[in-house]
Amino acid sequence: MFKFDRRLIFNFDLGLSIAILLVAAMGLTNLYSATYTPGGGIPALFMKQLYYYLFGFLMILVVVSFDYRVLISFNYPFYGAVVLLLVFALLFGDSIANTQRWIDLGVIRLQPSEPAKLAMVITMASYFSRKDTGQGFGFKELLIPMGLTVVPFLLILKQPDLGTALMMLVIFGSMALFVKIRWRTLVTLGVVGFSLIPIAWHYVLKPYQKNRVLTLFDPSIDPQGTGYHIAQSKIAVGSGLMFGKGFLRGTQAHLDFLPENHTDFAFSVWAEEWGFFGCLFFLACYCLMLLSALRIAAGARDKFGMLLAYGIVALLFWQAFINLAMIMGLLPVVGMPLPLFSYGGSSLLTNLIALGILINIGMRRFQSGN
Amino acid sequence: MSVRDHGPVIQRTITRLHKTSEAELFQLKHRLDPVTGTILILVIGLVLRLWFLQIHKGYEFEERSRSNRVRELRIIAPRGSISDRQGRPLIATRPSFNVVWTREDAPNPDEVVKRLAPILHEDIALLLDRIREQSDNPSYMPMRLKEDIDWKTLVHIENNHYNLPGVRIEVVSARDYQYGDLASHLIGYLNEISPAELAKRPRGEYQGGDPIGKQGVEKILESELRGEPGAAMLEVDAHGFEKKQVATLEPNTGNDVQLTIDLDLQKAAEDALAGLAGAVVATEVNTGRILALASAPNLRLAEFIGGISKTSWKGMLDDPLRPLTNKAIQGQYPPASTYKIITALAGLNEGVITPETAFHCSGAMHFGNRDFKCWKKGGHGTISLRRAIAESCDVYFYQTGLRVGVDRLAGYAKSLGYGGKTGIMLEHEKGGLVPTSAWKLATYKDKWHEGETLSISIGQGFDLVTPLQVNRMMAAVANGGTLYQPQLVERIIRPGGEVAQAFTPVVQGKFKGSAGSLALVRDGLVAVVNSPGGTAGRVKIPGITVAGKTGTAQVVHRTTFESVQGDTPYLYRDHAWFTCYAPAERPLIAVTVLVEHGRHGGSAAGPVARKVLMKYFNIPDEAEEKAKAEKAAAEAAAASAGGD
Repeated sequence: MFKFDRRLIFNFDLGLSIAILLVAAMGLTNLYSATYTPGGGIPALFMKQLYYYLFGFLMILVVVSFDYRVLISFNYPFYGAVVLLLVFALLFGDSIANTQRWIDLGVIRLQPSEPAKLAMVITMASYFSRKDTGQGFGFKELLIPMGLTVVPFLLILKQPDLGTALMMLVIFGSMALFVKIRWRTLVTLGVVGFSLIPIAWHYVLKPYQKNRVLTLFDPSIDPQGTGYHIAQSKIAVGSGLMFGKGFLRGTQAHLDFLPENHTDFAFSVWAEEWGFFGCLFFLACYCLMLLSALRIAAGARDKFGMLLAYGIVALLFWQAFINLAMIMGLLPVVGMPLPLFSYGGSSLLTNLIALGILINIGMRRFQSGN
Repeated sequence: MSVRDHGPVIQRTITRLHKTSEAELFQLKHRLDPVTGTILILVIGLVLRLWFLQIHKGYEFEERSRSNRVRELRIIAPRGSISDRQGRPLIATRPSFNVVWTREDAPNPDEVVKRLAPILHEDIALLLDRIREQSDNPSYMPMRLKEDIDWKTLVHIENNHYNLPGVRIEVVSARDYQYGDLASHLIGYLNEISPAELAKRPRGEYQGGDPIGKQGVEKILESELRGEPGAAMLEVDAHGFEKKQVATLEPNTGNDVQLTIDLDLQKAAEDALAGLAGAVVATEVNTGRILALASAPNLRLAEFIGGISKTSWKGMLDDPLRPLTNKAIQGQYPPASTYKIITALAGLNEGVITPETAFHCSGAMHFGNRDFKCWKKGGHGTISLRRAIAESCDVYFYQTGLRVGVDRLAGYAKSLGYGGKTGIMLEHEKGGLVPTSAWKLATYKDKWHEGETLSISIGQGFDLVTPLQVNRMMAAVANGGTLYQPQLVERIIRPGGEVAQAFTPVVQGKFKGSAGSLALVRDGLVAVVNSPGGTAGRVKIPGITVAGKTGTAQVVHRTTFESVQGDTPYLYRDHAWFTCYAPAERPLIAVTVLVEHGRHGGSAAGPVARKVLMKYFNIPDEAEEKAKAEKAAAEAAAASAGGD
């Protein structure tokens, strides 16, 4: 029953695969350095991430083995499961650093907000693929996708995890813009959105979050507290100079000046140890990955495939952009991992599965019907 | 893989998807171009930002990353020692341990102080005060919380290292005053550099809290004694814990200073002054080297170390014995009868007297409308130079001085170094005063009265001298008229033993009169001690001929308390002078003693000088010998009694 089609291999996207492998190699190398302590042997967190990678690559193989179009049917069950997990995390989750983000599954701890990002992409792609995109969407037609966005947004905001919550809005926005919104609707949404900012500032944002925004403009407000992250991260990045301090030689990272240096701030370690050229190389590989993904989107043989590929590009791009801009002191500090770089099983598996879906779409671009 | 392989649900979905018109797909595909553009623009933005951080501002951040992790811990150099002329240390140096705390390593002082206070046995508030005092320092600079902790505390802190982020031990060298307050005016003391002193120094030379010489040789030769501080470069982590020592810049030990002072002689001088207020100066006659320079009472060093308290400072200021003044160089007193040496020399050289010239002393001399008294009420009768000096006849010198005149007298005084600083290598020296008629006119807008000449001829009135000046004058008389600059430092020695600087005698001037006149005066000075009727008979030393001159300086006008000398309040009693040299035949040492409110030169100052001379010539003290002999005899008697 499982007849193998040779064209699947033929259409396997080599550029995307090489880019993924390069970024993954950099990410692992960097994680080794970020978690390394002299005389401590191979860091335990590095090993864990390595296992996640191996498991993730296995998942890619699973993901590419079936037609991506089945997702359109499994979309709502998936979405529903993620929402339930988010609720579960809020109610019974492990409280770490005053946030309720994790669900303990015994072997691993799941962070449901990570698969939620992918669920959002699939849901939006699925929803919009059924609508005609010729005329542009009005407010009424956007009500359902907006509702689908607000639910995970609020659940994640409550954890609280501002970065991931905003990512829900970013995914919705990216998708909606792509399928076209009517001008009047766009302007109305924009006005409403901006008028919500002061309300959010006063009633939603916690003082530490406000501080993170304020210190972006003036890190000297509180050099020992909130500004510390930004200042230390900028020192780490800047002191990398042209060629970096060398592997395992980043003093900022290894002397603990840089908090979270293996998770959200992993790239500062890369920048410190490999310098400007190391950063350029990373960006080049990451762009290669995104451009390959865009080519897959362009070559998708149906609307769902295109929207799904586009959504995954948006997911990979915005996470990376927000993370890097934050590390370089251009955006406030929010919780946002760098895909394939930051330590964390949930994030890594989510992103690898997303990449698997991309490969899947690319492999099946020839199947225009039966 | 064929679509037919999937179930009916998927089949339906796929059919619906297939309905997507090619046109719509085409349209959507073209919306991907602006997406690509947006991504590339934002990535270029990131690249520019990276360029700005890593290339444009890179070195700035690199510098900050370095200062982020490297702490410079100063190592204060072991201070040079200060020794006597024979190389015997007068004060030694020992390591002292300070507790320091670096704000940058542990930003919350309350927590650190809370843990540190019980270990140091200090008040939390007091430690926080110390932090507040130093809060202007840059955050990477260690602040001193407590100085000179003992070993037990040191071990306690080292053991609790991981509970005390940012706390380190700093080793500095401290002075060990093994002879107590000996020569404290001369040597001075060390204390933390004051903000005012810090501001005066070139940037980076000193840091707040560094020890610095505050007085005496410690202050004047600070740059020699201090050496060059080194530094330990420590790599620390974000919690201020030491990771490793990156580099050490060894400090350069300070140079040793060898003084001309003789420890034994200094001790003898200070012992002789015990309980008194006064000064002793002893110098080599033929070089000007200072063998002893004592001022009593000494500075009480213990009260100065670690900063003097207001109450003890006020106590020292109010003390009638004035411990804060180095009386040997800062005390200005009427020279009294010691000045008769000048008057005699002036008279002989100006030809107004000869050794044979005789004046009649009836106990007073009437001049103008008053009587100028001689100290001897009955008078000396007819008296000539030698006896006049020996018995210190006031009338003889009234007569001589009157004939010489104030300005000519001043010339001789100045040629023997009066009226100006000696230039000793110590701060705040006073120069005394030699009055002239021009000086009086300028100062008091009044002409000179001849009666005043009488007063200054016997060293009263306007005349003011320091013990150091008197001693230099005496040495010049003894050596044939050469005025040497008082020399305090023999040599400065590098840590390796090599001599960095050797000091040699400096001739400052020559007595303007004849050598013959000096010989005549010396003859009189020998008589002071050695002839019957001399005022300093009790200074006589077996085997050594001492020559000297007594002086009794009035503090208030004699008539006021004359009749009740015995009950004169301390502060109104006369100052006692004795200045001398020995041996008279071939002078080696000059000694000058001033005892404040000691009354008579011969009885109060003379014995002090005698003790110093005995020590110098290594003559055992008879009283001491006698006591020893008595003790031995008693022991012998006891032994023989026991034998019966």
